[in-house]
Amino acid sequence: MVFSAKTSGSDEWKAVISAISTLVEEATFEATGEGIAFRGMDPSHVALIDIAWPNSAFEKYECDNDVKFGVRIDEFSKLIKRADKKDSIEVSISEENLLLVTIGKNKKYKMRLIESSATDTPLPKISYNARIGVTSTEFDKILGDIQVVSEYLSISATASKAEFSGRGDSGEAVITLEKGMVEMPEIGVKEESTATYSLEYLNSIVKAVGTVAGTVICEYSTKMPLRLEFKVANIGRIHFYLAPRVES
Amino acid sequence: MKFSLVAETLKFMEGTTKRLELTKYLVDLFKITPPEIISHVVYLLQGKLRPDHEGIEMGIAEKIAIKAISKSAGVPIKKIQQEYNKLGDFGQAASKILEQKTQTTFLTQDITVERVYDTLYKIAELKGARSQDMKMKYISSLLNDATPIEAGFILKIITNSLRLGIADFTILDSLAIAFTGTKENRGMLEHAYNVSSDLGKVASAVAKNGIEAIKNFQVAVFSPVRPMLAERVKSPQEAHEKMGAEFAAEYKLDGERVQVHLQGEKIILYSRSLENITNYYPDIVEKISRAINAKEVILEAEAVAINEDSGEFLAFQELMHRRRKYGVTKAVSQYPITVNFFDVMFVDSKSCLNLSYKERRKMLEKLVKEDTFAKLVPMIIVKNDNDVEDFLENAINAGCEGLMLKQLDGIYKAGARGSNWLKIKREYRNELGDSLDLVVIGAFYGRGRRTGKYGALLLGTYNNETDTFPSICKVGTGFTDESLDQFYQILSDKITIKKNPRIESGLEADVWFEPEVVIEIVASEITLSPIHKTAMDTIRKGSGLALRFPKFTGRIRLEKTPENATTDQEIISLYNGQKRAVQEEKKQNYL
Repeated sequence: MVFSAKTSGSDEWKAVISAISTLVEEATFEATGEGIAFRGMDPSHVALIDIAWPNSAFEKYECDNDVKFGVRIDEFSKLIKRADKKDSIEVSISEENLLLVTIGKNKKYKMRLIESSATDTPLPKISYNARIGVTSTEFDKILGDIQVVSEYLSISATASKAEFSGRGDSGEAVITLEKGMVEMPEIGVKEESTATYSLEYLNSIVKAVGTVAGTVICEYSTKMPLRLEFKVANIGRIHFYLAPRVES
Repeated sequence: MKFSLVAETLKFMEGTTKRLELTKYLVDLFKITPPEIISHVVYLLQGKLRPDHEGIEMGIAEKIAIKAISKSAGVPIKKIQQEYNKLGDFGQAASKILEQKTQTTFLTQDITVERVYDTLYKIAELKGARSQDMKMKYISSLLNDATPIEAGFILKIITNSLRLGIADFTILDSLAIAFTGTKENRGMLEHAYNVSSDLGKVASAVAKNGIEAIKNFQVAVFSPVRPMLAERVKSPQEAHEKMGAEFAAEYKLDGERVQVHLQGEKIILYSRSLENITNYYPDIVEKISRAINAKEVILEAEAVAINEDSGEFLAFQELMHRRRKYGVTKAVSQYPITVNFFDVMFVDSKSCLNLSYKERRKMLEKLVKEDTFAKLVPMIIVKNDNDVEDFLENAINAGCEGLMLKQLDGIYKAGARGSNWLKIKREYRNELGDSLDLVVIGAFYGRGRRTGKYGALLLGTYNNETDTFPSICKVGTGFTDESLDQFYQILSDKITIKKNPRIESGLEADVWFEPEVVIEIVASEITLSPIHKTAMDTIRKGSGLALRFPKFTGRIRLEKTPENATTDQEIISLYNGQKRAVQEEKKQNYL
C-alpha cells in the first residue's frame, strides 16, 4: 500500500483541522485515488461537515489503495501547529500503522492512530430554493452584527435582495444586501425562502475557515437545513450543513 | 431497552414516599430490564455510572446542563433560570422548557437506557480544555431526541437531583423480590453488596443467575468491603449494660480510617466511604509491605498525623493537607503519619469476616511487625468496672477521640452498625455528651469583620428514610478567621442557584450549597423548634428539633459523606435520652 499526500504549505491542513475541530474530537479521514475526504457530524446531530480535498490540490499525491485513518483532533492539531506557514507537510501511514507527518525539510513526527468508530454519515438530500454568495469578510460581519441582539440568524431571500435578521429580548437587527452589491456577488432564488439557524454553530465555522475562503455560498430553503460552501485555495471545497430552528 | 420505561418508573416513584410502593415500582422495572443492562439501571437510579470506589464521576455542573437545555430548546439561559426558580425542580423546569424545543436535527435515534448510559460515560471521560463544550453537546444530543419527560429525568440523573427516597436497602429488597421471588433473600444480597460494595454487580449477578450467583460473592483484594460501624454510648455504664462484663477496648484515634488492600507489590487504599485514596498516602504505599507478614491481605487501620519529634498524635485536620492534586509529596513530608492497624478482613485468599474479634486480633498481631511507622492500635481487655474510665482517660491524654468497645466473640459485620461495636467519645462540657456531624446546606453573609465571608452556616441532619437533609441549626460560633476563609473557599464550589430539593429548611439562606460538606458541632441541648425540620412531626406535630448554643469544634469531616452525617433517628434518641436525664434529675431533687 502506498499512500502519501504533500501540501506545499501548512495553511491547508490548519484550515481543515480547525473546521473539523468545531464539531468533533475524533476524525476519520478517507484517502482514495481521487483525494482525501472527511465527513462528520457533531454529537448533538445539528451540524455536519463534508470535505472533499482532490488530489489535484496537493503538490504530490499518491494512493493506490483506499485507506481510512482516524486521529484525535487535538493531538493532530498540536502537531500541525509546529509547522511554519511556508513549511510543506507530507502525510503518510507507516507499516506499524502510525501516521507519519513530515514538516518542512527536517521535522518528522509519528502519531498514534485511533480506531475509527465513526459510522458512515449520510448527507441530507435536499433541494435548495435559494442560493446566495457573500464575501467571507461580509458574512463574518453580518454574524457579528446580528449577535448583538440575538443568538439566531434568520435569512430571507427574494429575487432581488437578501435579508439577514435577528431578534432577541433587547431588540432586533436587520442587514439587507441588494442584488449587485459587491458584498454579494451572487443571488439566485427559485422560491422566496426564510429560515432560522443557530449563530453559535455559524460563528465557529466561519471563524475557523472563513478567513481563508474568498466567498461563502449559502444554500437553503424555508425551514430546511442550510448548506454553506467554502471554496479554499488548494483544498477544494468544505460543505457545512446546519439543521434549522423551527418554532412550533 | 427504551429509556421511557425507566422514566415512567421514576415518575411513579416521585409520586410516593411509601417504601412498599417504591419497592413495587422497582420490582416491576427490574423484571422488564434485560439482565445485561440491569447494572446500568441500578447505577443510574443512584445517580452514578460505576460504584464510588472506581472514581468515575459524572462531573456535570448545573450551569452546563442549563446551557445544554438552552441550546436544545432555543430558549435563553435567563428564562430557564426563571422557570427553575419558579418550579423549584430542575427536571420539571427542563421538561417544561423543552416542550418549546426548536432546534431540529439531522438524525433522530431512539433514547435507550444503553444510549443514555454510554453518552454519560463518554461525558465522564472527557478531559481537557474543550471538554465543557463537548459535555454540553453530548447532553444536548440526548435532549434533542428525548421527550420532555425523558429529558427531565436525564437532567435530574446527571445533576444528581433525583429525589426518590430510596436507599441501598430498598434496591436490595426489590432485587430479592424480582429475581428470587421473596424478600427473605435480601440478607444474602446484602452480604454480596457488603463484600463487593457494588450494587450494580450484585444486581447483574442475581438477574442473570439467581440466588446461586449471589452465594459466590466473596471478599477479594482490591474490592473494598463496606466497613463495620459502631453505635455510640454516652457512659461506661451504658457500655457495660450493652456489652456485659468482658469486652475489648481500643483507642479511637483521631485520624482517617483506611482500608489497606495489599497483594505482593500492589497496594490500594480506600477511605471510609470507599473512595480510592491511595494517592494521598504515598508513604503508606512505600513503607507498609515490609511491616506485613503476608502476600495478600485486607487490613483496617487508622492513619494519624503525628509530631515526629515527640511521637504525639495530632488532630485529624493535619491530614487534610494531603488532600490535594499537586504537591502531595511536600505535604507528606510536612505532615508525617503513623498507620495504626485494628482489624483484618482477609488473609491469603481467606475471608476473616466470620472469625471472632478475639481471633482476628490475634491474627492481626501476627501479621503486623510493628515499627516506627506501622503500629497496632492499643487495646485492653476490660474486666473491671473502672477499666473503661481509666483507659478512656489515657486515650484522651494521648490525643485520641475516645474508645472503641468491641464484643470479644463478635464477627465483622460489614456495612452494619450494630451493638457488637460501640464508641464512646470524650465528654465535652455540654449536656449532650457527644458531638454531632452535620451537613452544611446553606450560609448567611457576614457583617463587620466577616463581611465578604459567611457569617453563619445553616446545617442539616440526614434523614435516611426520605433521603433528605432537614435543617437543624444555624451556627456562627467556633470559627476562627482562618477557618472562615477556608469555608468560603471550600463552599464556593458547592453553591447552587436554587436550593437542592433534598434540603428541607424553614429558613431562607443567602446561598444554598450542594449538601456535601460535613462538619462537627457541639451543642448544649436539643429543643423543639417551629422553624427547623429535623425530626419534623415526630416529637410534636408541627415541630422539628433544633440545637441550642451550637458551636463548631474546628473539625471539617472531609472523610464523611453527607449520608454519614448524624441522622434524624440519632437526634430523636438523644432528645429522648436528654428528657430522661432531666426527669431523673427532677426526681432526685424532689427526694
